[in-house]
Amino acid sequence: MYQIMVIEDDPVIQEELSVLLRSNGYEIILPKDFFNIISEIRKSPPHLLLLDINLPVQDGFKICSGIRTFSNVPIIFVTSRNTDMDELNSIMLGGDDFITKPYNTSILLARIASLLKRTYASEHAEVLTYQEVILHLENSKIEYHRNSVELTKNELKIMVFLFRNAGKIVPRADLVDYLWDSQLYVDDNALSVNITRIREKLKSIGVKDFIQTKHRQGYLI
Amino acid sequence: MRYKEYLKDQLPAIITHVLSMLFCVVFLSAVDVQANIILILLLIWFLIAASYIHIRFFFRKRYFAELLLQLERLDKKYLICEVMEHPILTEDKIYHMLLKAANKSMMEQVSESKRERKEYKEYIEQWIHDVKTPISAMKLLCENNKSDTTRKLMAELEKVSHYTDQALYYARSENVEKDYFIKEVSLSEMIHAAVAENKQLLLQNHISVEVNNCDNTVYTDEKWIGFILNQIIANAVKYSGKEPKIGFEVNSKQGQVVLIIYDNGVGISEPDLPRIFEKGFTGQNGRTGKSSTGIGLFLCKRLCEKLGIGIAVKSESGQGTQVELFFPKGDFVRVQE
Repeated sequence: MYQIMVIEDDPVIQEELSVLLRSNGYEIILPKDFFNIISEIRKSPPHLLLLDINLPVQDGFKICSGIRTFSNVPIIFVTSRNTDMDELNSIMLGGDDFITKPYNTSILLARIASLLKRTYASEHAEVLTYQEVILHLENSKIEYHRNSVELTKNELKIMVFLFRNAGKIVPRADLVDYLWDSQLYVDDNALSVNITRIREKLKSIGVKDFIQTKHRQGYLI
Repeated sequence: MRYKEYLKDQLPAIITHVLSMLFCVVFLSAVDVQANIILILLLIWFLIAASYIHIRFFFRKRYFAELLLQLERLDKKYLICEVMEHPILTEDKIYHMLLKAANKSMMEQVSESKRERKEYKEYIEQWIHDVKTPISAMKLLCENNKSDTTRKLMAELEKVSHYTDQALYYARSENVEKDYFIKEVSLSEMIHAAVAENKQLLLQNHISVEVNNCDNTVYTDEKWIGFILNQIIANAVKYSGKEPKIGFEVNSKQGQVVLIIYDNGVGISEPDLPRIFEKGFTGQNGRTGKSSTGIGLFLCKRLCEKLGIGIAVKSESGQGTQVELFFPKGDFVRVQE
């Protein structure tokens, strides 16, 4: 599990950012105080840093250049200042990315994911399994007892979200949110159409009643 | 300066001369001086006085003509005091001094106002940066506690952050040249980012989004274009119609890349169309119920002009609106590569 250190002086943002990142499968480290951040990172280096610029004691730029003297850990600047000087400074001092508040969480998560992927080549097999149904992410196929069928982009993303939340009821609104975050602009009606198509495809490979509709609640696998 | 007017100004001198002449004639006739001698004296007197007044006219006329010419050549007219030659005559000196004093006090006033304006602008920018932190916190809180209510809240927050951005860009739009960073940016990335920023707003209003082959890249400033796209999306949401949709499409023509943003909303009526970029113009759509400030499109136009991007709007009332952004192709960049 990737460890992300969140360096942010606003307590609400720090806490909520931690909740958000934890729920997306990251481990969060918070600095104990703002005096010894650099030595703390030296002792236990995280996989990625989210760094605010306006901080007490030392500003983000100083921390960044301090870290760069000994580590190449990816650093994303997250700040409310958005002049070009700030962006330029953050790049010059070794920051990997620059996101301005009020950031969009899906963009933030996407940037974190892509930066982690680039830095630490992924070793996870791109396969999800649930009740003997196997979802192949790399070639967009779903397999059951050696029978497989191809899925479209929309269908694949829907299945990914259902697989990740297997055993839980997934509200339709959450599913639509997730699809939009993946840049697939599917509305409520189109979602129903997609689900119907997925059910047909599952039937063709011999899986029945895999996706259940919970009335007024959502879907469940 | 006309001769007639000049003579009018010289009237006291002329009257003095005539009175002196009369007095002289009376006095000289009283002491039995011959009439022809008095006549010669008067003639010479008249000639000397007339030529003095006449010659003085030409000198004064030349002096003022030079001053006026200097004024005309000056770009900043208020600098005439500093540029003109120092006058020799006492009267001129006094006027020069008056002008200088007035100028100085005016300059003080101007710089005072400028300073106040600058401070206010700095305060606004600082305020906007400060307010972004709680907005981020609220967004995160909603994100972590998803429900129908928080989704609605998020749509409202998207509006709030859009308005704060508008204020920031309005404060900054005067000197874009100091704050931009041209690089190669992917249009599709910018479009997806703009859609993501308005996600809940679009979802809550059931607006479907189409993105068609937008794979081109353009050379521009990401931040400013992001703001312009946000504004256009916000407008499309505000003035949406039945089964609303918004779409993005890219056309690559010779020498330019055209980004087309279309919707099927209420559109803009024909008489309003030429005026939509005017500051404070709200039009028929703004008057019929929907609150409108007339700032958004004005800012878009201004930013586009500063960034060297063309912007055009086609619309028909009830049929939807189509906004086109023309990006020049950066040939010079390719040469350097």
